[in-house]
Amino acid sequence: MGRKRNPVEPGEFEDPLSNYDPPAYADEMERVLCETEVQQMRIQPLACIEKDATVQDALDMMKKYECSSVIVKDAGKAVGIFSARDVLNKIAHDPSTRPKPITAYMTQDPQKVYATDCPAKAINLMAVGGFRHIPVLDVDDNVVGILGPRRTTQFLEERLI
Amino acid sequence: MGLREDIMTETVDQMPLRQAVTVSPEISAVEAISLMRETQLGCVFVVDDFGRPIGKFTEREVLKLVCDCVPLDGPVENHIVPIPDCGCVKMTDPIAKVLKGMQETRLRFLCVVDDKGKVVALTGQKGLMEYITEHFPRQIKVQVMDSKLHMNSREGA
Repeated sequence: MGRKRNPVEPGEFEDPLSNYDPPAYADEMERVLCETEVQQMRIQPLACIEKDATVQDALDMMKKYECSSVIVKDAGKAVGIFSARDVLNKIAHDPSTRPKPITAYMTQDPQKVYATDCPAKAINLMAVGGFRHIPVLDVDDNVVGILGPRRTTQFLEERLI
Repeated sequence: MGLREDIMTETVDQMPLRQAVTVSPEISAVEAISLMRETQLGCVFVVDDFGRPIGKFTEREVLKLVCDCVPLDGPVENHIVPIPDCGCVKMTDPIAKVLKGMQETRLRFLCVVDDKGKVVALTGQKGLMEYITEHFPRQIKVQVMDSKLHMNSREGA
């Protein structure tokens, strides 16, 4: 027996291919968020550490570079991210975690954006997904940068003036 | 109106704000960290007897203390960072002031105070991102998460 279909009311359906007009934006700021690319934002420098490192190695790196997150890499690919929030939630109350492997305390498989994605996608991940630091990848999935809230607000403020 | 104009004209009370966590200067850093973890916030405000902010204790300070192996059982007031003038905003201030304040002072969190200077809420980078997302949901919320630039395997013939 075939599937039963609800009849479509006339005038209810709009063919998405019927309108080829470019999207209209209310101002330049909206256009920039939707039509530029993440690689036009400040995505470097970035701190990376290999996945066989320890928590202490990551803390040393965060102290040295005064950054609040490090990307954990395996053969050039981002496999995790270790941030100040992980330190707050998992490390601060338990000093015995320092010699342990970073892979046990990092956030596994973080959400990523491609360098050619629009900034709106990164903001989407930050606001809706709740991710503060987002690795930026090239076409071969290698890490080329990181986007954090400060760099995003800097990008917005530059366009506000 | 466009996003730029809205940021310049709309006020802080139209942004997504979060309940601020306030503590007295005498509590220990460990207790402050526990509060931050319970509330899932990266910042607590240390306030005086009138609820006015003296300073803030953020996850950035926690990170520094952990990196330097500083004992966390001392009073939190030993580790707080003073809040500059532009680190406090009022409900009636324009959202542009939040953006400017965060960028000028490299702050992640801003303290929202009432007319008497008492802490009433917390805002910051996440609040600003949420405001932008709500401003034009079609372009921002409708993004394919975890999408790839190219397909993993061939499609079709």
